[in-house]
Amino acid sequence: MSALGRVRQWNAFSQVWHLFDAKWQNPFQSAAVITKYLMGKHKPFYHPFANCGDVVVVINSRHIALLGDEWKKRVYFHHTGYPGGASWTLAWELHEKSPTMILEKAVYSSMKGNLQRRHTMKRLIIYPDDIIPEDIHTNISSQIKQLRKVPKVLESDEVNNFPRIFKLPVDYVPS
Amino acid sequence: MSLLNSFRNHNNFRNILATASSLFFKRNIFLSQSLYLKEVKEVKINNQLIIEANIIPAPEEDRLLKTALNTECCAVCSLGVDIKHTDVPLLAQFVRSDGCMLPRRITGLCKIQHKRITYMVAMAQKAGLMSILTPPDSKKDPKRRPKWKKFNTYFDESTIQLPKEYKIKIKDF
Repeated sequence: MSALGRVRQWNAFSQVWHLFDAKWQNPFQSAAVITKYLMGKHKPFYHPFANCGDVVVVINSRHIALLGDEWKKRVYFHHTGYPGGASWTLAWELHEKSPTMILEKAVYSSMKGNLQRRHTMKRLIIYPDDIIPEDIHTNISSQIKQLRKVPKVLESDEVNNFPRIFKLPVDYVPS
Repeated sequence: MSLLNSFRNHNNFRNILATASSLFFKRNIFLSQSLYLKEVKEVKINNQLIIEANIIPAPEEDRLLKTALNTECCAVCSLGVDIKHTDVPLLAQFVRSDGCMLPRRITGLCKIQHKRITYMVAMAQKAGLMSILTPPDSKKDPKRRPKWKKFNTYFDESTIQLPKEYKIKIKDF
């Protein structure tokens, strides 16, 4: 094998560490993208038996965004196994207790329930804020594009610089 | 105190002019912010004093879009832009400083667009994007709101449903 081919093979089978910023992202839509990278499905030589998955580091999982009134409508079910041990937790209550669990569960349930799933999940690292330990930060060499644009919060000077789209009456007094 | 209040009310009226009223009441202290919407000129010709008040053009006049002057349809219809609830500098033009919607007689919007903008302003407020335009007693920081309201939320504009009577009948055209 030529030197070039050898290097190409090393590059192909090396494990890439991807960064994903979950700020203002829907966890259920971004879970589909994260699993693609975790399982290695974005690679042309993907095979379920080959260990070709990448590592994904997710930051800002505390700042995920849900659609509409999903924070109070989405329910997480848990049963202890004992009689009367069922419990239903709303999404906002779960997110208060653990700011990473909604995203973790979303990624877990977006994968097929086979023996590989638990091993694939070990390649997912989630942080609630944008603070990453130094040893993990050094490994990151790629970034996954965000699915949704982070919305801009209105600032006071922005209103006075934006083009006016309608004309106010002459005798109008602003309040 | 009643005199004091009457001064304050005077200043709220647009047509009562700060400079003109100073002719009748000799005062230089303003109890509320003077708006300077009209300019008063005193012209003396042949022992005849002419006092004229001219309207000063608004500061936003030079930022006015050409589509705003369209008389065939309302400002949003003539703009022809798909407005989202995240376009907060645009939505902020339709609300007062406390976040209330301006009435249709001031904005000149058609019924459909007024309803749509109203819903989108509500969406932007719930998402915490327009928290500077809220009542003074409200919590300005969206992260300090109670329960589920403190978490980030986004909205889908296609969920805005207008009342049946607002839907355009194709037969009419």
